[in-house]
Amino acid sequence: MSDKGDPVLIALVSCGSEYAGVQSELEKAASTLNAKLVYPEMDVATLDTIGMEFGLEVASPDLRLMMARAKAVVEGVAKVDGVFVTSCFRCAEAAIVRNELRRYIFEESGLPVISYSFTERTTAATLLTRLEALTTIARRKHLLARTKQTGITAGIDSGSTTTKAVVMKDNEIVGEGWVPTIKVLESAETALQQALDQSGLKTEDIQAIGTTGYGRFLIGEHFKADLVQEEITMNSKGAVYLADQQKGPATVIDIGGMDNKAISVQDGIPGMFTMGGICAGASGRFLEMTAKRLGVEITDLGDLAIKGMGENVEMNSYCIVFGIQSLVNSLAKGSSPEDVAAAACHSVVEQIFEQQLQEVEVKEPLILVGGSSLIAGVPKALGDLLKIDVIVPPHSQLIGAVGAALLASGYVSE
Amino acid sequence: MAKVIIYPTNSLILSDMVERFGHEPLAMMEKIKKIINTVGVDSPPLNITPEEPKRGLKYAAVEVPAGVRGRMALIGPMIELAEAGIIVGDSSISFGCMGCARTNELTKFLIREKGIPILEIKYPHTEEEGQDFVYKIAEFLKSLPSGSDEK
Amino acid sequence: MAEETEDNITKIVVISSDSILPTDAAMKVYESEDSITIKETCFGTMVNGPREAVLKVVKTLRSMDRNHIFVKERGFKPGAEVRCRAGRGGGPRPGFHFLREEVNMLPMIGRALDKYEAGEPFEEHEAPKKLDISKLKKIIDSEL
Repeated sequence: MSDKGDPVLIALVSCGSEYAGVQSELEKAASTLNAKLVYPEMDVATLDTIGMEFGLEVASPDLRLMMARAKAVVEGVAKVDGVFVTSCFRCAEAAIVRNELRRYIFEESGLPVISYSFTERTTAATLLTRLEALTTIARRKHLLARTKQTGITAGIDSGSTTTKAVVMKDNEIVGEGWVPTIKVLESAETALQQALDQSGLKTEDIQAIGTTGYGRFLIGEHFKADLVQEEITMNSKGAVYLADQQKGPATVIDIGGMDNKAISVQDGIPGMFTMGGICAGASGRFLEMTAKRLGVEITDLGDLAIKGMGENVEMNSYCIVFGIQSLVNSLAKGSSPEDVAAAACHSVVEQIFEQQLQEVEVKEPLILVGGSSLIAGVPKALGDLLKIDVIVPPHSQLIGAVGAALLASGYVSE
Repeated sequence: MAKVIIYPTNSLILSDMVERFGHEPLAMMEKIKKIINTVGVDSPPLNITPEEPKRGLKYAAVEVPAGVRGRMALIGPMIELAEAGIIVGDSSISFGCMGCARTNELTKFLIREKGIPILEIKYPHTEEEGQDFVYKIAEFLKSLPSGSDEK
Repeated sequence: MAEETEDNITKIVVISSDSILPTDAAMKVYESEDSITIKETCFGTMVNGPREAVLKVVKTLRSMDRNHIFVKERGFKPGAEVRCRAGRGGGPRPGFHFLREEVNMLPMIGRALDKYEAGEPFEEHEAPKKLDISKLKKIIDSEL
C-alpha cells in the first residue's frame, strides 16, 4: 500500500513498454505504491560494446539498452531499491535477455528483481501486486526480518476461491478458519469467527490484524487492519515459518485457486518470483473439476491419485476445458479413476514446471503450500518431476493468513 | 513533390536531405507529435494506449508482440502514404522508435513490397562513401516526380 | 498534455559549420518574431512556434550556411516534461543516441553536399572484390 516518506526507486529495465500501451499502467501502479520508476543513467559508449561484454549479441538496440541499464544498476551507477525487468510477451529475443538480466542483477547486486512480460492488455491492477511485493521487500526489510509471532494477532487471507483466517498467540496457531469466498467481507467475517471460536478468544482480544490476498484492501479497511500486504511477501513468510526454514535459501511454490506463485526465498525474504495468472489449467480449480467429474470429494482426490499412475492416461492439453475432456475420454476408454486423478495432478505440476519454475532458481528445500498442497497427489507429482523432496508444512493451506498474523505482530510490540 | 518514407524513420540526415531536394519526408517525428497531442488521451510519455497495438493488427498478426504492433500503428500508415522510399542499411545504434529489430525488419519489408521507387544504401564511414551517399540520394530524389533542384 | 497544436511545431537545427556558431544562429532567431522560442542544446538549436513562423526562421537559418546546417522536425516540444531526463529519473531520451551518431557524420555529409552543388563529378570506385583464388594460392605458397 502507499507509504508516506521517500518514494522507493525502481529501475525500469524494459523493452517495448512505451510502444505497447503499458507504460502509463506501469507508472500508475508505481505511483499508487509511492514508488518512482527510474531509467538508469549509463555511459552511452557502453552501448557499442555491451553485447559482447555481456556475451549476448542481440539485434534489437533496445535490448542492448536494457543490458547497459542492468549493468549501471549492478555497478551502483544508478542507486535504486529494486528492479523491474520487462519486455513484450511472445518476443523470443527479449525473453532470453530478460531471463539472463534478471538472474544477473539478482546475483550481482542482491536487489529484489521481478521480471514480467506484458501484452497490450496488461493493466495497472495486474502489475500492482508484483510491484507491491517489490516495494515491500525494499521498504519493509525490518518487518520481514520478524521470525516469531508475539501477543495475540489475526491474519486473514482473502483468496479468490477460499478465505482463510488464523488467530495466533505467543507464536502458536490457536484458531483457524477456512471458508469458500462468496461475498468477500462476509466470508472474511465467518472465517475469522471460526478461528476465534476455536481459540476461545474474542474480537477485542486481538491486538493486531494483517490481511492479504485478492480481497486484502477491502477487508483490510473493514477490520481496520494494521498491515495490508500482497500475498508474495505474506506467503513466503508464512511458508518458511511453518516449514521451520527461516534461515538460508528456500523455494516456495503456492498453487492457489486461481493463480500460482513460485518464489525464491533467502532468509524468509522473497527474491525472484513469478506469478502465473491467466490459465486455470495450472490451478486448484483444475483439480476441483477433475474431482467433480470423478464423482469424488476434492479432499479424496489426492489419496486416489497416490494409488494411480498418471502415465497410463494420455493428456493432450493443460487446458481446463480440453484437458478435462481428455481425462473424461480416457475414463470412457477404461482408465481407472486412480490413474485419471494422478494424471490431473501431474498435469497441474507439469505446467507449473514449464511455465514458472524456469524463471526462478529452484533451491532446496522446496516448500509446497496453498490449498492444492493438501491433495497428496500434487506434492508427489512435483517431487517425482523435480526429483527432490517436497516439504508440505502443517497448515499449508493457511500460509497467507499465518504470514499476515506473524508480520502483523510487528505492530503489537510497537 | 513526392512523399518519401525514410528508414531509419527518425533520421536527421535523411529527413533533411528529402526536404532539401524538395520533397516531403515521411518521418516518425511528425507521427510522434501527432500522437502526443491527441486531445483527451493522457498516456505518457508517448501517449500510446492499448489501442495502438490493436491498430497494429493491420500490419502484423496477433502473435507478434504488442511492442511491434504498437510501433507499426505509427509506421504502417506512413508506409501507406509513401510514394518513394530511402532505406539506409547498416545504421548505427538507435533506440525508441527504431529500437526493435523485429519492427525494423517488418518496416523495411513493407516498404520494399510496395513497389514504389526505392533507394537502398548504407551509412557512410569514409569521405568517399560520404560522397557516394550524398550523390546517390540527391540523384534519386531528383529522379522522383516533380522533384525540383536544390531550393 | 495537448499544448502543442497542429500549427505549432518544433524543429531541431543542427549546426555543423566552420563559419557559423550555434550562438550566431540563436541571435538570428532572436532577431525574428516574438512568437518563436528557442532552446540551445549541445547539438544545435530547437526552434518552437507557429508552423509558418518556424519554417520562415528555419529557412533563414539554413541560408546562413546551407550545406552545413541540418534540420529535422521534433515530436516533443523543447523541455517536454514527459521526455525530459530530469522528469524521467535519469537516462537520456531514446532519440538522443541516434542523433549523436548522425551528428558525427554531418561534416562529411556537408562536404559532399558542397561538391555536389559545385557539380564535381563522382567517380564510383569499385568495391573491393573477394580475393582471387589464384592470388590466395600464391600467398599460401609464399608463406610456406
